[in-house]
Amino acid sequence: MKLLTHNMLTSHVKGVTKGYPLIIKATEVKVNELEFNAQFVSRMIPKLEWNALIQAAEWLGRSQDLPSTLIPNYENDEEFLHKVHRILLEVEVIEGCLQCPESGREFPISKGVPNMLLIEDE
Amino acid sequence: LYSIQKEVIAKNVSGAHIMQELDEAVTIGATVPTGFEHTAAEEVQEKLEATARVSKNRGRIYFDITTDTLFKVHQLKSLDNLFVVVKDYDDYQFKTTKEEVQLDWQELAAKLPWTNALEVWKLNNSIKKRKGRRKRTNPTKSDQCGNFSTKSTDTVPSDPEELWVDLESLEVKENQRDVSSQPEDDSEEEKHSEIQDQESGVTPLKFRVTCNRAGDKHCFTSNDAARDFGGAVQEFFQWKADMTKFDVEVLLNIHNNEVVVGLALTVESLHRRNISHFGPTTLRSTLAYGMLRLCKPQVSDVIVDPMCGTGAIPLEGVMEWQNSFFLAGDNSGTAVSRSVNNIKHILKRTHDGGSSSGLPLDIVQWDLCNLPMRSSSVDIIITDMPFGKRMGSKKKNWELYPLCLREMARVCKPGTGKAVLLTQDKKCFLKALSQMEGLWRKSHTVWVNVGGLHAGVFVLKRTAVVFGTTSEDVMEPHTATGSQKENMKDASQ
Repeated sequence: MKLLTHNMLTSHVKGVTKGYPLIIKATEVKVNELEFNAQFVSRMIPKLEWNALIQAAEWLGRSQDLPSTLIPNYENDEEFLHKVHRILLEVEVIEGCLQCPESGREFPISKGVPNMLLIEDE
Repeated sequence: LYSIQKEVIAKNVSGAHIMQELDEAVTIGATVPTGFEHTAAEEVQEKLEATARVSKNRGRIYFDITTDTLFKVHQLKSLDNLFVVVKDYDDYQFKTTKEEVQLDWQELAAKLPWTNALEVWKLNNSIKKRKGRRKRTNPTKSDQCGNFSTKSTDTVPSDPEELWVDLESLEVKENQRDVSSQPEDDSEEEKHSEIQDQESGVTPLKFRVTCNRAGDKHCFTSNDAARDFGGAVQEFFQWKADMTKFDVEVLLNIHNNEVVVGLALTVESLHRRNISHFGPTTLRSTLAYGMLRLCKPQVSDVIVDPMCGTGAIPLEGVMEWQNSFFLAGDNSGTAVSRSVNNIKHILKRTHDGGSSSGLPLDIVQWDLCNLPMRSSSVDIIITDMPFGKRMGSKKKNWELYPLCLREMARVCKPGTGKAVLLTQDKKCFLKALSQMEGLWRKSHTVWVNVGGLHAGVFVLKRTAVVFGTTSEDVMEPHTATGSQKENMKDASQ
């Protein structure tokens, strides 16, 4: 699971209103190279919940001096874009779980795939 | 002149002369999923800079290339099968008795311009060899060394997965050739399989004729045509006819008065390229590709397939549109693990160095009626919805479709988002759609044929209406008010 995906995932346990972002508890993380595309990164940034991304990076111990608020003119900062590219697309959680911040319910991640299925009455 | 021509061809084909690379113009024909002729033509224009003509015979396009770009044609993703055109007639006058027609085939076989097409066929073989071979399916050795050992074709699968593969390929092949809907049409295919003694010093090629015939004014069947034309070809070239272990497949396509003679350039249909682990309802890659083209994915688009099955659509997507991000999900654990395996297979194929390169793709196990995703986070939703016949049931679709469309509307970006949805249960789908007037707008529909079933690919635009503000997306119990609204809608249509 890449952090870009994590940025879009939310807890949907019944009754939960503050299910985002899901807390990441990783037991295995891999870094896989992916071709960098500046346009992709700079267009993706406005679509993200930036705070959630910073939070996720911290949970993985990879904050790597990413700023907690976006700098103006980030589109032209290649170094910054490379850092974002890395954290969004190259760092992958292979094993672990995602935890709903409100209910505590844990969703396992196995072989890079989170299982978000709820049982009947959740 | 006739016998000299024969000799020249025979020599060339057996490789006795060094083949010169012609940068000649040739006409290539390709079969594509019916309904996607125009997206296929777009891809041809884009990648080969050639203008494709869409045939009146559905599911076929034609375009001209020079032989140096033949290898590029194999890389196209919209095309199922390829052939090189020997000759085409758009107004062939068929005689009215079988005997006369047979004589005509004999005359035709002798005067067709085979040489160039055979050169292309030969060139194509070397291209295929370079590409390497996939594990399964019948061998396509152009066995010119006279190896007559008849190793039985791969009918015994070594593992259960392969069994799926063979069944799938059989099923799809049978349904690949689309017929026009007129009842008089007769379009079986026939393979010519007589074996004849050979005495020439040069080892003869093995061939078969495949005939597709459609039209109600012919006095013969495709059976007859394949047999008679096959006989004529055999006599002309002194090739050996063989239904299963052939080197050359001669195609005879008859559609009313249009006759196209071609040589097949693909044996294994290109459409299974990405899926090594099949499931029971895997979508053809060419169809998945066609659907993706309809979406026109842009840089940084988030593209979700919420019912991905074995991952045909997201895999095809990630191979071609590497600047979008694909998120695929399914509620079935089996489907999810098959998708994962298919990804691994792709990664192995494209990154042989063993480097751990990734793809802009993630897979999640989820329930599509209750997606664990933020609202308005998705640019494009693209999926193959359960047909009810092979998976799920029609009754379930009545409940499933409205729930699906709701959730999709919630996660899809208002104003800019779109959905491309394939379904056979058109009635159910349209009814469910009509209950969401505020959220989705129909853009257009492509009618397709999927495994013999008539299906529709519905392209929808997400309206600017924000989810949660219209009455449609509030689940109302079926009250008098509810049914009144229904009646009003029906009345206004």
